[in-house]
Amino acid sequence: MKKEPHSSTPLLELDRLAVTFYTPQGTVHAVRETSLKIQRGEVLGLVGESGCGKSTIAWAIMGYFQSLVRMEGTIRFKGKPFTKMLPSELRGLRGRRIAMVYQDVVSSLNPTMRVGPQLEEVLRENLNMGKQQARHRVIELFENVNLAEPERVGQRYPHELSGGMQQRVVIAMALACDPELLIMDEPTTGLDVTTEATILDLISELRQRVNAGIIWISHNLGIIARIADRIAVMYAGQIVEQAPVKALFRNPSHPYTVGLLNCVPGSTAITEARTKLATIPGTVYDSKQPTTDTCLFEPRCSIAQDSCKSGTPQFFDAGDHHQSRCSYWSDVRPDIWGKNEPVIEAPEQTKAKPLLTVTRLRHFYGREQHRIPFIGPVGLAPVRAVVDANFNVGPKQTVGIVGESGSGKSTVARNVVGLLSRSGGDIHLQGVLLEPRVEKRSRKHRAELGIIFQNPAAALNPKLHVRHAILRSLWKFPKLRGRVARERAAQLLESVGMDASYLGRLPSELSGGQQQRIALAAALAGDPQLIVADEPVSALDVSVQAQVLNLLREEQRNNDISYIFISHDLGVVRYMADEIIVLYAGHIAESGPANSILKPPSHPYTETLLSAIPVPDPEVTPSRIRLDGPVPSLRQIFKGCFFAGRCPRKIGPVCDGVMPPTVANPNSPSHIIYCHIPLEQLSEIQTTSTGL
Amino acid sequence: MTRFFVRRLILIVLTLFVVSIAIFAVTTVLPGDVAQVILGKGATPQDVETLRNELGLNRPAYSQYMGWIGGIVQGDLGDSLYLRRPIAELLQSRLTNSLVLAVFAFFVAIPSAVLVGIWAGTHRDSRTDRVMSTMSMVAISLPEFVTGMLLIVILSSTLHLLPSSSMMLPGTSPLTRPQILIMPALTLTGVIFGYVMRMTRANVIEVLQCNYVRTAILKGLPMQRVILHHVVPNAILPTITIVAASIGWLLGGLIVVEVVFAYPGLGRLLLGAVETRDVPLLQITTLIIAATFTFSNLAADLLCAVLDRRVRLS
Repeated sequence: MKKEPHSSTPLLELDRLAVTFYTPQGTVHAVRETSLKIQRGEVLGLVGESGCGKSTIAWAIMGYFQSLVRMEGTIRFKGKPFTKMLPSELRGLRGRRIAMVYQDVVSSLNPTMRVGPQLEEVLRENLNMGKQQARHRVIELFENVNLAEPERVGQRYPHELSGGMQQRVVIAMALACDPELLIMDEPTTGLDVTTEATILDLISELRQRVNAGIIWISHNLGIIARIADRIAVMYAGQIVEQAPVKALFRNPSHPYTVGLLNCVPGSTAITEARTKLATIPGTVYDSKQPTTDTCLFEPRCSIAQDSCKSGTPQFFDAGDHHQSRCSYWSDVRPDIWGKNEPVIEAPEQTKAKPLLTVTRLRHFYGREQHRIPFIGPVGLAPVRAVVDANFNVGPKQTVGIVGESGSGKSTVARNVVGLLSRSGGDIHLQGVLLEPRVEKRSRKHRAELGIIFQNPAAALNPKLHVRHAILRSLWKFPKLRGRVARERAAQLLESVGMDASYLGRLPSELSGGQQQRIALAAALAGDPQLIVADEPVSALDVSVQAQVLNLLREEQRNNDISYIFISHDLGVVRYMADEIIVLYAGHIAESGPANSILKPPSHPYTETLLSAIPVPDPEVTPSRIRLDGPVPSLRQIFKGCFFAGRCPRKIGPVCDGVMPPTVANPNSPSHIIYCHIPLEQLSEIQTTSTGL
Repeated sequence: MTRFFVRRLILIVLTLFVVSIAIFAVTTVLPGDVAQVILGKGATPQDVETLRNELGLNRPAYSQYMGWIGGIVQGDLGDSLYLRRPIAELLQSRLTNSLVLAVFAFFVAIPSAVLVGIWAGTHRDSRTDRVMSTMSMVAISLPEFVTGMLLIVILSSTLHLLPSSSMMLPGTSPLTRPQILIMPALTLTGVIFGYVMRMTRANVIEVLQCNYVRTAILKGLPMQRVILHHVVPNAILPTITIVAASIGWLLGGLIVVEVVFAYPGLGRLLLGAVETRDVPLLQITTLIIAATFTFSNLAADLLCAVLDRRVRLS
């Protein structure tokens, strides 16, 4: 690399940047006076909850805004302010010297253009390459991001690639012109954990080679811990703490940072007892409020003093490039938000009669299709989304279902509540067979099974007040009317931590966490025995996620409810569940008590999932067990083990040819693993290689 | 692709079969009697009855239908009852005339509407955009006979630039006097132009908000390339479906316009058939219009599939 003329000049510098949007709904102060520096070769992690202005900083650097906006302060690229650059010069920066990787990959690629040409045009426009030269370079770029068959990937359309491959293409596109600054805006959000892990591996590998400054925006402290050199924590459009990664995790010096670290379930060692998550109360400072002459975090802060209300705190030096915007930074301790209290483990309920019994549940999508209408050979076999799933849910028990997207988690959930009509198998609730479709089920059965969906905003009717969502269930199931119903609705709302004044609000006036609380209140209205929660916290911020998880546990204790808790996040499932079911390609890979599942021996797939979780601790060297090969087609009937095609522990042809046996863990008989490898052997490799 | 095509063709044949039954059913219950019309008011009941027998109108309905549809399948369209000539012969010149007019209007209206739509969409809320959008609204709101009359009043009665009637000598082609095509074509264009232009504009605006357009801009591409390679191909897809639907409008408009300008095309033939209770002619012309409609929709679907690989043709 050639030496930069002024090595002391930062690559990019934000000097008191403020970004204000003028929208029909009012003025939004997205970024308030933020100063940042980033050097070449450095990875700066930018963390904070949504609405804290992280992405706005990215757009400000890229100079891309679609609405009316006012920018104050200065952005300097290698010492030269953007305001002093000509429009043509700025355009030369974009794509060429500053490149960006986007959050929502699927929508970031042009669906009507093959991916190869989408990269070629960057090279041809920005570097004036010829057609042949550009084509060769694209293949090289695809090789760099470890895409299989780099010569052929370019011929495909975006929809023909998996999410992980699409993200690799977008990363290759960003790297096309050897940028000096790379902005990664939540590049792995929305990807499966195993895919996320491979993308993180890729970036750690690339950063050695490309020598660019990287700004990595994420809400996930686990990812940031793995990838960043330095971290800036943002709150309400301001940076509240900045430090090298190890210093920040070892010695967080702003109450907000401590709060963020606390509310990640499983942020500590895997085997630790489950605890009640300490959460940050309240919500993010409203971006429509003007900047006041106080500490903006003061209303939510647990160590706030009277003096915090007068005067904006400046940055205090906590030593060694560690800065905190808290006047009482030296008082910040890991337990300022309360201790993460251990949760009393529910007693073993193996003897209790199960509440829900699922036997040989199957769900196939689509019928067989003929190649020529009505006649001719069968072309498409049905998608075997769930194949012969057996499990029980005990009273007051939480059964967690984990797996990647497409593993059949939601299909199981929808069959249980009757939104989908199962293709085979039986579901019994308290010994009574449930009709496949919810319409056919008795009122009692319908009341006893509740569901909470992933996206509360989509699950609540946007035109109806909160009251209706809850009252409808009260009318339907306990058949309450009039004043009694209204009182019960207010009561339910209180039980989920909201007051009765919210009854008259529209869902759009509530935050994501509040919407999910309403959804829970509505699910509770029928006084259910079992609630199926399908990714209930995936769309929520970490702090809100912790609040909702605590609430779910509390309701379970108060109302004796069982949960089927579905998540792709093993950390969350580990926190919630008594029993865990690991699904892969529609088959149960492993099931059993949570504490037994998380310890060796584990099914090799579970092992991969565990090793893929980004641990929010930079001192932990993550184990690297990754999945190879393509996701198997669900249209086929597996001859051998369903995981054989991608298994990192595959032992030989027996895996491909013979169905895996059902093996019970001798230490915990209800823990069942479907694998050819003898358990002692599994246990041995896993203890030595992953240090679980 | 082939499989999809074959499937759709089978469906089209089925559709047209159902349409033919519907047409036949409606036309046979139509009041009035062609024998009566041919022979005039003074005819005796016996004469009418003889003619009815001769024309096969006394056969049972299913046998009439089978004879009719069987003939069509074999390429025999039957004879016009009123004009007493083979329908195929009548259709030949009328169909060509209408086709000339429709194609002329289509190829003026669609490309210009798409171009103006793209321009308006990329220059949203500019003065020109507002003017074009308002004008297209006016064009959509005015029915063809009003636009036609307006054009006649302005271009021929006042300015004497064009002939007010588009009548032709039998056996001549409209292309020998292309000026007679201008006003009918303009009238036809009005509604389609407004409709297609507004849809294109809306699609362009929507695509401009898409993340992949953002990607294209932030890749450092010049705006012209972004619009040409990223916005237009995506915005054009839904427009194609609209264009196919607008062929239906075009056919409806054709009948009105041909009457207003006395242009000897399929529409006037159809109207004539209704007036004279010429059932066989009416049936065939209606069937032709239905066929045009289904085939243009098939063409649009195929075109969309070629342009957008996400469309699964199965």
